[in-house]
Amino acid sequence: MALRVEYLVRETGNNLRRNVALTVPAVLTVAVSLALFGVSLLLGGGADRFTQQWRGGIEFIIFMNPDATQDQINLIQNSVSTSPEIKSWKYFDKQMAFDEFRELFKDKPDLVNSVTPDILPPSYRVVPQNPDADAVTALAAQFENQPGVKQVRQATDVIKDVESLTRYIKIGLWVTSIVLFAVSLLLILNTIFTAMTARRREIEVMKLVGATNWFIRVPFMLEGLIQGISGAVVAVIATSVFNGQVFPRIQRLEILKDFRVDSGQLWTTSIWLIVLGCVIGVVGSLFGVSRYLDV
Amino acid sequence: MIKLENVTKVYKGDIVALRGATVDIQKGEFVFLVGQSGSGKSTFMRLLNREEVPTEGQIFVAGKDIGGLSSWKVPYLRRNIGCVFQDFKLLPKKTVAENVGFALEVIGRPRHVVGKQVPAILELVGLGDKVSAFPDELSGGEQQRVSIARAFVNRPLILLADEPTGNLDPETSVGIMRLLDRINRTGTTVVMATHDRGIVDTMRRRVIELNRGVIVRDQHRGVYE
Repeated sequence: MALRVEYLVRETGNNLRRNVALTVPAVLTVAVSLALFGVSLLLGGGADRFTQQWRGGIEFIIFMNPDATQDQINLIQNSVSTSPEIKSWKYFDKQMAFDEFRELFKDKPDLVNSVTPDILPPSYRVVPQNPDADAVTALAAQFENQPGVKQVRQATDVIKDVESLTRYIKIGLWVTSIVLFAVSLLLILNTIFTAMTARRREIEVMKLVGATNWFIRVPFMLEGLIQGISGAVVAVIATSVFNGQVFPRIQRLEILKDFRVDSGQLWTTSIWLIVLGCVIGVVGSLFGVSRYLDV
Repeated sequence: MIKLENVTKVYKGDIVALRGATVDIQKGEFVFLVGQSGSGKSTFMRLLNREEVPTEGQIFVAGKDIGGLSSWKVPYLRRNIGCVFQDFKLLPKKTVAENVGFALEVIGRPRHVVGKQVPAILELVGLGDKVSAFPDELSGGEQQRVSIARAFVNRPLILLADEPTGNLDPETSVGIMRLLDRINRTGTTVVMATHDRGIVDTMRRRVIELNRGVIVRDQHRGVYE
């Protein structure tokens, strides 16, 4: 076994060293594709947080007073459910408001701990039939002075813009990273093929003396795996730098201050990137070895 | 040890390399395979090593039908068959000892076994003083000895030698044949394809002659023609 590990380390190291001119581009392509993917995940997360209350065409939210009576709440419910101008609506009770608050501020445990469901306002989230700004404003105004209503908030243009802009950016990043995934798979396959061609004589001898296919394959697959993981590590670093440098700048704008990514999401994204790096490396090299290596 | 029953090998394009070959080779025999280029000698050897599978007929090696062997078992068959070639097939960046040790290393033999067997086999083939040399520092005869050492280091049951003296001068060839004879005397079955009339006539061992894929002669203590 000791010999096997030593053999694996030596052969894989030799392959990577001999193949450096191909290994570096393969690693960089994996890194770029994964970094784009990572950034798109983070952007998506930030945008989701930013627009969380407004998803699904919700144009305005009627916040009730936290101490509004059941009658007052029922009265508003009656109005929204009978109004022909309202397409759909959803009631958020105190507990739901608290859950949402917890989700929105999960990276600020002090804030979450200082709040209880009691002090949060229940609300109605309303999707109007007509999404035109004037119509929405007129409709929202009808609820403003009703008893028990604390405030009616409309989705701002910023929210709508951020929602659609991030959607386009995400699609762009996804398409680019998928294309680059394919390119990195091909590049890894190519490095493995080149490594195998450079060592075809050794492989021929190995087959003749009875080395098993897996024994021959494993160093090459390990080479692919190392390329994938190295690319992923670079991508994780790039994504963290992006998160550390770019997001604070976005948040500096007052209207975008809710555009945040918590540390948990950065971790999840990093794990995803490492897993994807391994998959790209192993799949690319597996294609290479099974295509060019038969008994 | 080796048994061919009515073996035919047809390559793509209906090229018949071997037709209806039936042969029985006992353990410990030394067999020369002779015939013109293209007569089917190499196909015969490649079939024994399972580099090719027969189109028809059956091949038994050590009692096992190797035609029906699943591909994952092929490496284990090859551990019982040593191969020597005209062009030696040595790895130029490895020393003599590394070339021989490689054959043990890649079948998972532990380090202490490699460390013990490699010097012993190199001593046997007369290269005890060349362990650290690289192939290009050796003569043709010495390179072929390394190749034989590599083929034999795992003590295979069968040694296949495809024109092992094809690139060597007559004097060096005699040395190689002595070595193969010595290996044969340890009980290893040797099958050697050759064009070397002098060697066949001198050794007087079993001769199987192929002509256009057909066995035309199978003679004990035979001569080249």
